[in-house]
Amino acid sequence: MDTDELIRRLAADLQPVRPLKPPWVRALLWLGIALPYVAAVVWGKLTMIDASQVAGDVRFLVEQAATLATALTAAIAAFCSVIPGFGRRVLFLPLAPLGVWLASVGQGCVQDWLRLGAEGLRIRPDWDCLPLATVIGIVPTIVLVIMLRKGAPLRPRVTLALAALAVASVANFGMQFAHVGDASIMVLAWHLGAVAVLSMLGGWLGELILGWGHALGVR
Amino acid sequence: MTRHRDNSNGPADSGAERWRLLMQAAQRGDKSAYSSLLREILPVLRAIVGRRWGSRQDVDDIVQDILLSLHAVRNSYDPARPFMPWLVTIARRRVADAARRSSSRSMTEALVGEVAETFFAEDTNVPSNGYGDAEALARAMSGLPQGQRQAIELMKLREMSLKEAAAATGTSVGALKVSAHRGMLALRKALAAKS
Repeated sequence: MDTDELIRRLAADLQPVRPLKPPWVRALLWLGIALPYVAAVVWGKLTMIDASQVAGDVRFLVEQAATLATALTAAIAAFCSVIPGFGRRVLFLPLAPLGVWLASVGQGCVQDWLRLGAEGLRIRPDWDCLPLATVIGIVPTIVLVIMLRKGAPLRPRVTLALAALAVASVANFGMQFAHVGDASIMVLAWHLGAVAVLSMLGGWLGELILGWGHALGVR
Repeated sequence: MTRHRDNSNGPADSGAERWRLLMQAAQRGDKSAYSSLLREILPVLRAIVGRRWGSRQDVDDIVQDILLSLHAVRNSYDPARPFMPWLVTIARRRVADAARRSSSRSMTEALVGEVAETFFAEDTNVPSNGYGDAEALARAMSGLPQGQRQAIELMKLREMSLKEAAAATGTSVGALKVSAHRGMLALRKALAAKS
């Protein structure tokens, strides 16, 4: 088709569109949906927690704050990645809170090792958590993918890896309330391990879920 | 949060500002603004694509791909932000996608020699010389001015790149381009007159 003819057709078919809200607003909107859902899923566990014990556990509070910040910044970065014109530096935004989260869990591992020796670093199977982790991630994943598909699939792999990091982080935030007092090595192996696996899986499926085929309506 | 700076200035600034306003109107559904915008950005898109792709047909295909892409994601433009970084990012991304497609295609395609026979019928299998009348071509070549003949010999027959041919002849790339173009026109004219 001639380019002039294409322009004529595109202009003739033009429909009004509403510009997407800024990435940080969209990230907060997503978190506004994801957090109440996560809270509802772990509600039974939340009611069993001793509030005074949790409030006094500084490491737990730091870890939870870092987890939530990782979820928020990963979501902001994911939403930025579907807006043409944003620089690449914003994609590294989640690294800072993720670093704090890792450092806090690492410190816990060291403390457990000093206190309990090799036993403090033993990784035990924890498959019981899998159903809860799966259920907790469903709604945040669906909502985030729907929201991301409204943007431009410029770097689908990076976008979906960031989205997976956001979902895994918000899911971990909820899961932690079900595992208050767990050994840090278990958190490192199962929770952060799941974050890494999900992020890699997201990156691998990026083109399929967020490619131009979807945006152009050919898939 | 990182934001692209709009690097344009002076008259380019007013052009970018005009496109920003046209895009804003297009998002509201203004068809005439959208048509003007797409026509005005065509040279920019052709320049971006042309830097990477030589063939005009490929350039047009990729430019059309970019137009379709920006149409599909026009909601991703924030009217409060500069227009050019938005446009250039989409264009570059689609050019990179085209390059990836092209390289993966070339990896799976196999070059085959000329197939000797097409059908059993004799009249479909007349041997032909792919270059036409070689003698007529040689005569037409000898009638060309020295500069044009040299340009065609180096670039078309010895398949040198523009840069290589310019280095070999000691002329500029631009002058060589003009010589080759004029030489091809003269050759075409000479061969057409003979046939």
